[in-house]
Amino acid sequence: MKHTFVVLFITLVSNAYAHQPVMDMAPRWNNGYGVQTRVEHANSETTTWLEGVYTFKPSLRMTLKVPHSNGKTGDAILAMPIKRYKNDGAFTSNWGLTPSVRMPTGGGSKWDAGLSLSYSAESRKVYTLYDLYTLGDTTGIDINAGLVHSDGKGSSWFTLWDITAKDSDSGQHLLTGPVLVYFKRNIIVRAEYKFEAYDDDTQWDGNYLSIGIGMVF
Amino acid sequence: MLNKTIAIALLYALLATPALAQNYVVSVNGIVCEFCAFGVGKKIRKLPFIDPSQYDEGVKVDIENQRVFIAIRDNVSLDQSALFEAIESGGYDPIDIRQITDKEPSTEVIE
Repeated sequence: MKHTFVVLFITLVSNAYAHQPVMDMAPRWNNGYGVQTRVEHANSETTTWLEGVYTFKPSLRMTLKVPHSNGKTGDAILAMPIKRYKNDGAFTSNWGLTPSVRMPTGGGSKWDAGLSLSYSAESRKVYTLYDLYTLGDTTGIDINAGLVHSDGKGSSWFTLWDITAKDSDSGQHLLTGPVLVYFKRNIIVRAEYKFEAYDDDTQWDGNYLSIGIGMVF
Repeated sequence: MLNKTIAIALLYALLATPALAQNYVVSVNGIVCEFCAFGVGKKIRKLPFIDPSQYDEGVKVDIENQRVFIAIRDNVSLDQSALFEAIESGGYDPIDIRQITDKEPSTEVIE
């Protein structure tokens, strides 16, 4: 049932971002699962993503992302994050290696393989994520860094800054901007707005906005 | 004869008195965020010896000091192995456990 649930909720997008569904850190527990929907506006186009994640154990997850735009479903991305955690006092970190495959669910016939190498670390006050990835003709790096505030009653605010750089057959672009993340028990809300800092990409134009909400169980 | 009667009465009183609830605090490496707390609490609450009438359904997580407080049901023993397994399955590393004394009230826990 849980597996079926996850498979039903996937995400999409014509531009595949490296973030795992719901966020890098959740769900971290055995047999945990989560779903997230996100609305993304970029290149004068609005895309709705459905994303799902299932955590077999902290070191092994499976994620699925399915985009939907202009009434059409895009190419889904299936990935298997493999993580190695280190917990030390008031600090937790992990290295991640994530093979992925983009499937031609949008009507094409091309399959793409991908691989991501990531590192994230979190203390009581600071969160950082570095993700270097390649998928199809795209290679990118994504950096999140910022402050964490927890109220001790089940809620946390993450105030982050994001830098995203991509290189593909169509050129290069670099986006940067603020990210706000709010947790309340098992609910997460994430909003990000990134400005175009550099654009030499014939397939990219303008800024980027994403707003999403997810739940983990 | 009197001493024997008193001894029997004391023994009876001792046996008839239910065991007091015992709470424990576990130090857990890496538990620094509310989502960490949610995952660990979710796993611990499934254990049969947890008393849901105390704390937040039997568990309270102090992310300031990386501690997890647990409440144990009356007349039930703590299964430390199961407790540590639950915390590990939540993604974190328990390092030690000790019983809470009267001098360490739950008000010490960050709400």
